[in-house]
Amino acid sequence: MIDAGTEPLQERSPLPVRLERVEKWYGRRVVLAGVTLDIPPGITGLVGPNGAGKSTLIRAILGLVRLAGGRVEVCGIDPAVAARRVRQLIGVVPEDDAAIPGLSGVEMVQYAARLSGLPCVEALRRAHEVLDWCDAGQERYRTVETLSVGMRQKVAFAAAIVHDPVIVILDEPTNGLDPLERRAMLGRLVTLARDHGKTILVSTHVLRDVQSICDRLALLVRGRVRLAGSIADLTGSADRDLRLRGSGPLELFVARLTARGMKARLAGDGDGVLLHATDPAAVVAVWEEAGRAGVEAWALEPERRPLEEVFLAALQAADDADLGRLANAPA
Amino acid sequence: MPLHDVGYRAWEGVLRPRAAAVVIAGTGIRLAWKSRWLRRVMLFAWSPALMFAGGFFAFEQAVEDGSIAAGRDATRRLDGFGLVGRLVATSLGGQLDDPEAARRIVWSRLLLAFMRAPQAVLLAVVVGLVAPRLIAGDLRARAWLVYFTRPVSRSDYILGKFGVLAAIVTVITLLPALVLWLVGVLVSPSLAVALATWDLPLRIIAAAVAVTIPTVLLALAYSSLTAESRIATFAWFATWVACWIAHGALAGADMAAATRPQGGAAVDADPYAEDPPSEHPPSEDPSAVMPRHAQQFNWLARAAGIDNSVDRWAWLSLYHAQGVVQAWIFGIEQRFVVVLPPLASLVAVALGSLGVLLVRVEAPARA
Repeated sequence: MIDAGTEPLQERSPLPVRLERVEKWYGRRVVLAGVTLDIPPGITGLVGPNGAGKSTLIRAILGLVRLAGGRVEVCGIDPAVAARRVRQLIGVVPEDDAAIPGLSGVEMVQYAARLSGLPCVEALRRAHEVLDWCDAGQERYRTVETLSVGMRQKVAFAAAIVHDPVIVILDEPTNGLDPLERRAMLGRLVTLARDHGKTILVSTHVLRDVQSICDRLALLVRGRVRLAGSIADLTGSADRDLRLRGSGPLELFVARLTARGMKARLAGDGDGVLLHATDPAAVVAVWEEAGRAGVEAWALEPERRPLEEVFLAALQAADDADLGRLANAPA
Repeated sequence: MPLHDVGYRAWEGVLRPRAAAVVIAGTGIRLAWKSRWLRRVMLFAWSPALMFAGGFFAFEQAVEDGSIAAGRDATRRLDGFGLVGRLVATSLGGQLDDPEAARRIVWSRLLLAFMRAPQAVLLAVVVGLVAPRLIAGDLRARAWLVYFTRPVSRSDYILGKFGVLAAIVTVITLLPALVLWLVGVLVSPSLAVALATWDLPLRIIAAAVAVTIPTVLLALAYSSLTAESRIATFAWFATWVACWIAHGALAGADMAAATRPQGGAAVDADPYAEDPPSEHPPSEDPSAVMPRHAQQFNWLARAAGIDNSVDRWAWLSLYHAQGVVQAWIFGIEQRFVVVLPPLASLVAVALGSLGVLLVRVEAPARA
């Protein structure tokens, strides 16, 4: 339980994090240009090219930077006014190594817990508990500077969640992790979001991770949110295309569908057939033709665009928009 | 998976991050104490206290066997304790009639000499070796992210780091000085001496605070200016040495000018002359006249406030400024006009360092 004031958090704001027209300048360089973004419970991916303003946005949520304009609310609390209370609600896994040299892994997590307000003995108990959950093993007793990258990441993650925060912010959480560790880390995030109701914001460049665990995505380019919404909506096909996955004479299957007047083609990635079916009758016809052509079909699902494609298209659109703005700007 | 893995559980208690400074200080002390050399230095730092305890013992023995009242011969006897004996003898000066008054003079000067001569130098060394890593190390390891992403304010952080050094200062300066006072009480003829000197522990604490605040804040400010602790260490010692040299040169020039007769040629002062030339008129204060046998220990005499010539350059050097202020706290230096410049200098150093700290400690998080 977090002592963040007398009013229940949910009554003050239904959204854990809300940003409204947030602006931040470093000198004459705009870093956040009117960012408006709501981060609901669940896992939200924050993506964008280098220098897009992701780290500054995280700092704005933590109340670490003074904003030029706009407003941030974390569970209804303005970090500019009550940064300490806001930071009580948040656990952060920073991108870079951040540890106290000389402390062991478990001491580091205990220290983080105590700084967050846990009593000394409870902090140690929870530190061990969370490290167990993170599968830290006996390495927790080694000093942090001697730990492997993966172990340091586990310690940083454990330190971020040891005080049971409402919101967890992770900056490149899978950096330096081997595939097994990466999968385990993503699994823990899903567990936290699904089973413990945490709001998780993952800032990453690894779009595959975003697509595999995130419910929502926000794309930040040059300080502006260019894309925000659920992953399903963003990657869904606007043309309501379907993909049939299966094996057998796929060319024959495509020919038969075409003969029936349906749009169909072999998928460019070689994984099944892409087809356009707008009504249930067309879907039934697809199954019939697959059987007749001898195609062993095991899935017919809405076609999803790869997130990378969505990302690149949004970047291109952002470039075009900025060029247009420059062209229209008075000389 | 460990057998005792209970999974991730919600925390049912209440978070109260109100003592972050204590947590930071406690952890910092524990980390510093891991260093073997620091433990040795801290232990070594208590050894001068043994010598000064001898001074207390010698004085109280003289009081007990009545040799204090017997006149100046007593001071010669006390010379047997070397430096401390000379200090005691010099403190007694010509006023040996009242043992109570003599006790106050002797104890105050012994304590001041103890805090100034060995401890202040040791303190500068230890602080110079421990402090630079406190913030520079955090900057280097990016540990500021650990602090400022949690409910830790700048003041918590600074207070925590201050607490680490304050603990070291306490162990090196304050505790031994308090123990010396206690030793003085225990070896005195009556425990009533504790009541008669009740103010000395308070003066010791005040003198330790006068050392701690500017010294620690300056050391932390240097540490906050760089991520390389070696640079901060160098800057710290360079500052002490440079200020010491600058003070020595200017104070030396003043002393040379004071010994120059009206005619112009410098007097070849005989350090063993019975009445050395002085810019000050003779006073009733026993410390005003410095016996010749004490002159070869000028440094100790200055540390104990026996040499009461006005050091108008004391404000230039942290060490000397602290000395003047501490002498004032112990009631040895009573001319406020003499104390004012060093006091102002210490306040300026403390405030300036605090300003630097406030700006610097959160700077990486805001960048």
